[in-house]
Amino acid sequence: MGFVAIKGGEEAIKNSLAFYEEEINLNQKIDAFAIENSLRYGVDKVISEGSLYSKKLSAQAILKAGGDLLNASFFLRAHRSSCARAGIAKTIHTDEMRVVRRISSAFKDIKGGQILGPSGDYEVKLILTKTIDKTVWDDYKNDDIFVESALKPLRDANMIKTLPKDEHISDITRVFPSAPYPRSAVMQIMARGESGSMLAFAYTSMRGYGDVHPTIGDLRLGRSEVKFTHPFTKNEVKIGEIDITACEAAATFEKQSDGSTKLTTGFGCCFGFNETKAISMSILDTTLYNKSHTIGQGGIADNFEMIVHHIDGIESQGFTNHYKLPHYVTFQADLQVYENAKKYLSIGEKK
Amino acid sequence: MRYGFLDEDAKKEIRRATLKAIAIPGYQVSFASRELPIARGWGTGGLQVTLAIINEEDCLKVIDQGCDGSVNAVNIRNFIVSVTDNQTTLDTVCADIIQSRHRIPEEPMREGQTLVLQVPYPEVLTNVEADSYKQKVMHANSDYAKLWVLLYEDTAQFGDSRIGHRYPVMVHDRYAMDPSPIPKYDTKKLNNNKALILLGAGREKKIYAIPPYTKVEPLKFEDREFKVESFANKKCARCGASGVFMDEVHTNEGEVKFYCNDTAYCDKQLEKGAR
Repeated sequence: MGFVAIKGGEEAIKNSLAFYEEEINLNQKIDAFAIENSLRYGVDKVISEGSLYSKKLSAQAILKAGGDLLNASFFLRAHRSSCARAGIAKTIHTDEMRVVRRISSAFKDIKGGQILGPSGDYEVKLILTKTIDKTVWDDYKNDDIFVESALKPLRDANMIKTLPKDEHISDITRVFPSAPYPRSAVMQIMARGESGSMLAFAYTSMRGYGDVHPTIGDLRLGRSEVKFTHPFTKNEVKIGEIDITACEAAATFEKQSDGSTKLTTGFGCCFGFNETKAISMSILDTTLYNKSHTIGQGGIADNFEMIVHHIDGIESQGFTNHYKLPHYVTFQADLQVYENAKKYLSIGEKK
Repeated sequence: MRYGFLDEDAKKEIRRATLKAIAIPGYQVSFASRELPIARGWGTGGLQVTLAIINEEDCLKVIDQGCDGSVNAVNIRNFIVSVTDNQTTLDTVCADIIQSRHRIPEEPMREGQTLVLQVPYPEVLTNVEADSYKQKVMHANSDYAKLWVLLYEDTAQFGDSRIGHRYPVMVHDRYAMDPSPIPKYDTKKLNNNKALILLGAGREKKIYAIPPYTKVEPLKFEDREFKVESFANKKCARCGASGVFMDEVHTNEGEVKFYCNDTAYCDKQLEKGAR
């Protein structure tokens, strides 16, 4: 093979990559173990958006990406394409998870109580003056906590609108659906969507392009068991536990086709601890499936086409960055069309 | 690492989608589209097609914007070689599979060859109808009125369509199709091409095809000429070729020079001249 035509591309990539590695290897004192244990919200964001539950690989990816979390998620997504699919695990019921944090803003008192758990919400965000408070919690219990959703009493009282269940559960990694989109597919797309994109779309509906004013009915962080039917013994086996965040939002009420009036809700759920993402997802779920209660123009966050195609971080990031690739052929072609149009219009003016 | 990186289920799915695409020229077949270690939007559709159809005997050529040596082409070629160990070439004539972005090679392709084009926007209707459900209905009814209106409006205002590259084509008088961002100069090569042309869109999860000897015509009014890019009276400053697609290069001295865009073609002309 002759190398006459190679315009230095090969050499250029090699050098650029070496430079890049040098640039991010300045922090080589950090190991993946430290990242996994102390940068957990970064690690969790990556397992969720990368759609692969492996905190170990997530930490390695964050190191490799120099802390760029979108890029780290991309490493995980690429990795999962080389793995064969084993099958579908049993449905996880969030009522059955061991919670470390569970709050409801809809009620003052709820069954099981408000469990603040680990949260930085009430931390004063001062970067410089930080004193370490060594309060010892006398009545801290180490028992597992299982609580049902704070919205369960309303659901039991038949006050909450329910959507029909999908008969067939989609797997968007195997078949990407076309419109109209099955609900299970929409939920999967959101579960691995990019947190920031989802936050922005959810925010549009709160702020000015929709009228969803959600109340957080139940927000919970904790661990859930993953169960799987063993391929040989056919017994149900526990294959591990995963950290998840789940949120149920309650919105406005709506007249149903059977004449009754019910409250609408939305559900959000993702890998790891990521409250902002779970809340955003629950809002998007609400806007997508309850769009008829508003007067006026359609919003942005209630449009399936808008949400389904624009919240994946791996795709939007990849495509945005592809504009760095050379485009001189297409630009040349565009310029010629521009020149022709200019000529055509100037002849018109002379007339 | 397994041959061709992807797991066997993925390859099977892509092959089936490809076969369906060949059976219905110009029709976009959905597929799941796996993530690859190459970023979305950088050729993952074409790459998945190539990885699914390549076998050990195939000789591969990868080009980007007409050039085998540009960074993205090198990157994709190196990745494919690293997971297949296949032979590669710069020569259009020798290649069995050519994966390309934004160009169809200057040298005519022959029977038995496959051209894999990377596609950013598979849906030709996307500029006139954003809703994918409505797009599907329009295709089903062969309803391309909105494309014609766009063409008419452009022609009325500017004397011609404002589309410079990625010019819409009709495939076998049935489906309107986006031919990927090739210049209009290359659009004509799609018609009756002897090679199999496969188009892969990774981010948008679509595969479509133009089988060999398929009628492919640009969407245009009967009484209007289909104007392609012209490099009349221009000669390649390197090999002296004319009548090919050229790159316009502005030198540091302020001079404007033209070079063959297809660098492998340029090399061949240079070799011929030297002999």
